Amino acid sequence: MSESPDIRTAGRRQTAALSIFLLIQTLGTVFFVGDVIGDLREDPGSAHFIFEAVVTAALVLGIIFGAFALRRTIELLRAQDQALAVARGALSDVIEGQFTAWALTPAERDVGLLALKGLDVAEIAELRGAAQGTVRAQLTRIYSKAGVSGRAQFAAFFVEDLLGAGVPSAEASTVKAG
Amino acid sequence: MATPRTLASTAVGASPSLWDPVVRLTHWGIAASVLTNAVLDEGGSLLHVSVGWIVMALLVLRLVWGVLGPAEARFSAFPPNPVTAVRHLRQLVAGRVRHYPSHNPAGALMAYAFWATLAVVTASGLYLTGGATPMQVAEEKAAVASGDWSALIAEGGGESSEEDKSLRHTVEEVHEVAANLLLLLAALHIAGVIVEGRVLRRSLVRPMLLGDVRRGK
Ligand code: HEM
Ligand code: HEM
Repeated sequence: MSESPDIRTAGRRQTAALSIFLLIQTLGTVFFVGDVIGDLREDPGSAHFIFEAVVTAALVLGIIFGAFALRRTIELLRAQDQALAVARGALSDVIEGQFTAWALTPAERDVGLLALKGLDVAEIAELRGAAQGTVRAQLTRIYSKAGVSGRAQFAAFFVEDLLGAGVPSAEASTVKAG
Repeated sequence: MATPRTLASTAVGASPSLWDPVVRLTHWGIAASVLTNAVLDEGGSLLHVSVGWIVMALLVLRLVWGVLGPAEARFSAFPPNPVTAVRHLRQLVAGRVRHYPSHNPAGALMAYAFWATLAVVTASGLYLTGGATPMQVAEEKAAVASGDWSALIAEGGGESSEEDKSLRHTVEEVHEVAANLLLLLAALHIAGVIVEGRVLRRSLVRPMLLGDVRRGK
């Protein structure tokens, strides 16, 4: 429930590829610079020198920019990861609080949560080992306590709440847990 | 420990659950290269010099990353400090250690010792080969193999005097002693990783390999 493997694997692949590229870049640069120094010692007045100095500078700059870009990517991925975790924690906090405010019974809380997760009546009934009629009646009571017309409005209630209030900061959502 | 459920792995103060790919690539690249050059291949061979140049590149990349990388890979996250290193070792013996956002102080000292020794080994190796790149070494060896000994004469020409010879001998010694020091450090290092992992009750190696694929615990 707390994972987003798709985003994480994609991010990992991307940073791994960038790192391998950076390593190859560094290898090439070290070999090239070694070669240039060798040339210089053999033939210090070489007209090649200016050309080689420019290429060396470009290669070194390439490594520095590559490292910067990779750092930015890694930090961006981490920030996304954290924002997702915070948002997830925040949303479940919001849901819990709202269920309490509506005075849902424990059974209604469970059913309401499953409904929010997108399960239909048959699935909820099977999961809870209850009759479909019971679940339908519980859902009706939940909707009426919440003052919404049905499942779509019920789900929209929380999305709207999350979007409207903005994502609470990390500290706010961890106070409870810590 | 009441860590917040959602932030357990990103919280400040916990060491990374996965080192970034540059740290991992340079670590295992350097480890494999050191073993190859110190144990497996013949000193001065084409393979030896090629692997030596690869070590140089890995070292350069890791040092650049120590300035430009993410927070826990930067030198500022694990400053060399013998006092805290000794304190850490004492805590380790007592069986209760602090958590650090990067390497622990003893591990940090070990990393700097590795890097400094690697610099000595590569610098002395460069001196021994006259700074020849692997490409040049390959050319020379091919020339000698085809019966053209002039490459050897050109190489030997620079060290005709007694002084040069004894300097070369000293550098050879330095190179070998530093290589053995690397092996000694590696043994200490692996022992340290095992002991630290025991006391912390978590694998240090996993974050250095592929990390916790399923994070959180
Ligand atoms: C990880 C880095 C390295 C390690 C652990 C290492 C280790 C060693 C060891 C143990 C020897 C002695 C082996 C023997 O006598 O057969 C040796 C010899 C030698 N190494 Fe390295 N080496 C490294 C890097 C380099 C580099 C970067 C170069 C050159 C660019 C180099 C050039 C040489 C040469 C020319 C010899 C032969 C010395 C002689 O004439 O006896 N090594 N190395
Ligand atoms: C000759 C071989 C080796 C050398 C030269 C070496 C060198 C290093 C260096 C320089 C670091 C610091 C990493 C950085 O910040 O870039 C490090 C960390 C580490 N190494 Fe090695 N290493 C070697 C072998 C090994 C082996 C075989 C293992 C596995 C048992 C290992 C496990 C680790 C771990 C787990 C860390 C991170 C420690 C921490 O959590 O602070 N190393 N090593």
